[in-house]
Amino acid sequence: MSKISAMMDTGKRSLMNSQTSLQTVAHNIANKSTENYSRQRVETVTNQPIGTGNLRIGMGARAAVVNRVNNPFLEKQLQKESSQMGYLDSRANSLGRVEQVYNEQMNKGLNHYVSDFFNAFRELSNNPESLTSRTIVRETADVLTKDFKRVNDQLHDIQNDIDGQLTSHIEQINQYSKEISTLNEKIQQVEIQGIPANDERDRRDLLLKKLNEKINISWAENETGLVSVTAGNSAVIVSGYDHVDLKAVRNPDGKVSINYTAVENGKLSDLTKQFTGGAVGGALDVRDNVIEGYLSSIDNMAYTLAREVNEAHIEGYDRTGRSGVLFFDMPDTAKGASSQVQVNKTILNDVTRIAAGVKPNAPADNTVANVISSIQYKEVFDNNSSTIDEYYNSQVGQVGVLAQRATKTKEAQENILNQLNNIRESVSGVSLDEEATKMIEFQKTFDASARLIRTADEMFDTVLSIKR
Amino acid sequence: MRVADKMAFSQVTQNLSKNRSEMQDLQNQAATQKRVVKPSDDPMAAARVLVNRVDEKSNEQFIKSLNSAKSFLEFTDQSLGELTESLIRAKELALSQADDASGNAQSRRVTGKEIEQIYNQSVQIANRKLGERYVFSGHKTTTMPFDIMGNYRGDDGDIKIQINKDSFLPMNLSGDKVFLGRGLGNDGFIHARYETPKNVTEMQDYKQEEQQRLEQNQEVMGNHVDVRGPSNIGDIQKSSDVVGTNVFSILKNLQVSLEANDKAGVQDSIDYLDQAINQVVLARSQVGSRVGIVNSSIDSTQKAKMDNRIAASQLEDADVFQVMSDITKNEGTLRATMETSGKLIQPSLLDFLK
Repeated sequence: MSKISAMMDTGKRSLMNSQTSLQTVAHNIANKSTENYSRQRVETVTNQPIGTGNLRIGMGARAAVVNRVNNPFLEKQLQKESSQMGYLDSRANSLGRVEQVYNEQMNKGLNHYVSDFFNAFRELSNNPESLTSRTIVRETADVLTKDFKRVNDQLHDIQNDIDGQLTSHIEQINQYSKEISTLNEKIQQVEIQGIPANDERDRRDLLLKKLNEKINISWAENETGLVSVTAGNSAVIVSGYDHVDLKAVRNPDGKVSINYTAVENGKLSDLTKQFTGGAVGGALDVRDNVIEGYLSSIDNMAYTLAREVNEAHIEGYDRTGRSGVLFFDMPDTAKGASSQVQVNKTILNDVTRIAAGVKPNAPADNTVANVISSIQYKEVFDNNSSTIDEYYNSQVGQVGVLAQRATKTKEAQENILNQLNNIRESVSGVSLDEEATKMIEFQKTFDASARLIRTADEMFDTVLSIKR
Repeated sequence: MRVADKMAFSQVTQNLSKNRSEMQDLQNQAATQKRVVKPSDDPMAAARVLVNRVDEKSNEQFIKSLNSAKSFLEFTDQSLGELTESLIRAKELALSQADDASGNAQSRRVTGKEIEQIYNQSVQIANRKLGERYVFSGHKTTTMPFDIMGNYRGDDGDIKIQINKDSFLPMNLSGDKVFLGRGLGNDGFIHARYETPKNVTEMQDYKQEEQQRLEQNQEVMGNHVDVRGPSNIGDIQKSSDVVGTNVFSILKNLQVSLEANDKAGVQDSIDYLDQAINQVVLARSQVGSRVGIVNSSIDSTQKAKMDNRIAASQLEDADVFQVMSDITKNEGTLRATMETSGKLIQPSLLDFLK
């Protein structure tokens, strides 16, 4: 007798198990496209068998636990590669913009204007008496100073853009850390009962991966399932149920820095230098290392050129025998020179003050013009080993190499990341074919279990009808 | 290997996007006819192209300078040629009136008038202008070099023209060298230095030198007793060193001798005319050799310009045939990708289950 009811009981349990499994299959199919979803399986185990005499009879199955199919080591690798990807991607984008500042394939740039400037002095050397050639010298010099300023302005614009990007990255990072702390709470509460919190863990893994893309973090999970996240070396942004925001602060010099304080309303400390990975790290590298380097090169170029020309020009006498004035108005130091160097106002107003010769009252003396035009081939850059053209051209070559390398490394990293993602999908991804098969499998089990119950029921009726 | 749906979809997307982006690059190359559109396409080529551009512009500028020097020098040459002819004519006239067999006081007076014409013409030649500039004034090209008395108001500067990256060529001949013969021998005049100052230090030295030289030359000039009139014929040095002769005073003296019927003076002036002619011919040969240098510089600079352009084109222009064939190949790849993608992602088991 007990066997019949045991059979019915087994059947009933089996029915429920099939329903549970089918429900999990439904969950998998519904979440097929959810980002970072790991397919879930119901683990069924056999019930404790019962022994009667020589026989141990199995008591059916029960659903033990719903697991997700997930490889945590793969997740860690994905996070690391995502971090690298974020860094390279952000860097390649910003370098692509820096490269356009130096691109003379389509537009006229410094190479063109510097050339015109020196050739104008050669023309002056041909015709030192003429006002026309002096006017040309003034115009080319003016246009040259304007182009120096253009390069300076464009590089600063890129820096400002990067600052904007940083601010929005920081906002998103703060959102992620807030959500992670919420998830921490949920996961702990669920898992304290011994049940794995599959969906929440999937979501938290996704957030950690996204955080890695943005900024370099290190994280660790404790035995109760809480995760603590540290950004950079020392900024703890998630700890248990709490999270701390990173703050993007604009400094007096115009740049945005990333600040942090562990204590509410405490003193903010500038931790920008710690962030060397992820999109934030890439952007900071371009803003602070690459662009600053190019800014100082262009400043150096403007400053040295102005100094050399001035040195020669004051030795000369102008068209009416007056002693030569400074050709360029320039600042005292090289920093910021590219936006401050300008043609002397005296010369802008009166071209006859341009000096071509070293003897007063000798209109055809072109010695000064010759010396100034020879400055183009004078090695005054790079510790007196490069001319101005070589200096600028090497800048262009350098920026081209940097941009090219950044793009190529980014593409290579994309390939690596895609490979890893494919492997992850292969392990944890949902396959419709598989789910369809499982669906049929569990439905058949359901049918069979239902049949089992009917059989048990009929058997019971049979037993009951033994005695009328 | 277990293949999840997402894997298949993402692979299809990646492959399609890779093909399309290659196609886009090729299309860009075909449209702009340039292989290097931004420095990162080929950094070496981009930097080299810039060097080529600078060289091209400099070469154009040098050609301009050379052409202007050439016309200046050729004009000088032509003027000197006319001057030589005038002097030869003067010599013929002097020869014809040198002894009593062929001339007498009457004919000498008439010839004197003709010599006066030649004198005026020589002054005119000396004061010629090319454009707005006096050709024989040295650095003072806005001042007329000689007055009717033969006094020189220009200076002895050389106008240096840059004919290529490292060298300069003087494109003028100052009037005092050609017409007055100053600085040609041991008369105490100091020349300017030959090398052109190329940087500020050299220029400062040059400035000082020029100052000193000007003062010293003025002293030397002061010591020269420059007196006009028949009696100063004997003051012109007759030594055998190469010295300069004053073309104007020779002509003037000949004229005066003829008008005064001074046979000995006329005979002496034949020698001096010879010296004068030699001086002018010497100057002309200098000009001629400079014209030669200028011409060969023009040729080599133009060739360099052409070579430059060829090199630049090889670096930055796209090879049209290569681009077209790459585009065709890519098209085929793209089509194949799209067809097989359909086959990969469409069928699923659910289609076959009822």
